[in-house]
Amino acid sequence: MEPQFLLAKAKDEELAKKGECGGAVSALFKYLLDQQLVDGVLTLTRGEDVYDGIPTLVENSEEIVETCGSLHCAPTMFGDLISKHLNDIRLAVSVKPCDAMAIKELEKRHQINPDAIYKIGLNCGGTVMPITARKMIEMFYDVDPAEVVAEEIDKGKFIIELADGTHKSVEIDELEEKGFGRRNNCQRCELKIPRNADLACGNWGAEPGWTFIEVVTEKGKTLVENARKNGYIDVKTPSEKAIAIREKIENVMIKLARKFQDKYLEEDYPAPENWDEYWNRCIKCYACRDVCPICFCKECDLEKDFYTDEDEIAPDPLTFQGVRLSHMCFSCVNCGQCEDVCPMEIPLARIFHRMQKKYRDDTGFIAGVSEELPPLYSPEKE
Amino acid sequence: MSEEDVKIVGFCCNWCCYGGADTAGTARMQYPPNVRILRVMCSGRINPSMVLKAFKEGADGVFVGGCHMGDCHYDAGNYKWNRRAKLVEELLPEFGIERERFRFEWISASEGEKFQETMKEFADTIKSIGPLKRSTPQISTQAKFTAKI
Repeated sequence: MEPQFLLAKAKDEELAKKGECGGAVSALFKYLLDQQLVDGVLTLTRGEDVYDGIPTLVENSEEIVETCGSLHCAPTMFGDLISKHLNDIRLAVSVKPCDAMAIKELEKRHQINPDAIYKIGLNCGGTVMPITARKMIEMFYDVDPAEVVAEEIDKGKFIIELADGTHKSVEIDELEEKGFGRRNNCQRCELKIPRNADLACGNWGAEPGWTFIEVVTEKGKTLVENARKNGYIDVKTPSEKAIAIREKIENVMIKLARKFQDKYLEEDYPAPENWDEYWNRCIKCYACRDVCPICFCKECDLEKDFYTDEDEIAPDPLTFQGVRLSHMCFSCVNCGQCEDVCPMEIPLARIFHRMQKKYRDDTGFIAGVSEELPPLYSPEKE
Repeated sequence: MSEEDVKIVGFCCNWCCYGGADTAGTARMQYPPNVRILRVMCSGRINPSMVLKAFKEGADGVFVGGCHMGDCHYDAGNYKWNRRAKLVEELLPEFGIERERFRFEWISASEGEKFQETMKEFADTIKSIGPLKRSTPQISTQAKFTAKI
């Protein structure tokens, strides 16, 4: 369908006040729960501090208000949570672009039922590792990280709010030049507006107090229309200028991402000798595989005797990461989790992202975005 | 091990390339003895992991031969392998293995000569780049491969 642009905000005053940009997303969730269109809403709630996000299943619409607000310093993924634990219920989920990509790949592989899930996409400029966030808040903001009560990324700045209401901000470019700021994979990410979800919501181009929504699918269209008819949200049409601003922001972000891709995947890409050093660190804990949203097999080739040697300390990279790469690199959604969880700090996401980019250049298949399965799965004579 | 003594693992599909090797054999066409042929039922049976495993175990080159496009005994096996082979070509350089060390061809059962020529060419290529030197695997794997043969 033709994409459709809207501005929306919650009618409920509490949601409008506590939610970001008028709380439209929270209001949509409330509508879905109240009307029993879904059994639960999977979203992130704040844990002990702003560096702690806990994936939470909300089944009672009264509790939606607790989940309001964004958490940029708590990167989490929902894809495999849904396929492994929530596949038997009707679900609505708030997704960043990489979540939407992971869910899409899992849907194609029949691990998630696309009919039982509402994907409310949130525009995303990137996330920050909790440890990095703490360090940079100490160094660049001269603030005790524990005192931060809220954070926001806006207009190229990482902004923190303290208990007394003061705001401090630093340019993200400056942070990233010094090796802080967003996760490397987020810096490289080109999908800032999740057009692979049902709706793509965000503040780019929106007036204060309103959420800019791009309606992507028929399902999303029906949802917004019905939520409006039932009095959950107010809707209006954005101006041409607002649409243009949003497009401009997106293009700037994509251009920057391409620059980072060149930097991380070509210019500064580790040489084979460096990779040998990285692979030698591997303790074969399988964390990268376990956390990967694309790796869903119950029986994994990596555990077969065929590929292992008893006397190996670090596994041979060819039959460990090599086999993993050959199984799924073409479907890598660059969520960066493999790199996040690696206890030996092997920059795994780089090699996976690089391979998916090569595969994309060869075949046109974009993981998490293309509607069909990767051509490698095709039975056709072509 | 001398520079000449390179090891090549050749996966050949039962219906075409293996037949081609057989034709070359019965016609007494000589080809380099460096290649160790493994018969598989179809090139579509081969995974990238099998190629990786061969390199891990000490092969200096890996060859895969299948039926010509349209001739697959199982209809589409060689098309599937073709798609995988392209991935292997992209993957190997990431591990410091030259692209030239991996080659795949379509050889029919009657093409003994093509098999001979391909093997000669490939063995020459591998000899000219020399044995595969990998820093990561322990020296023991090299020794084990020799012992198994």
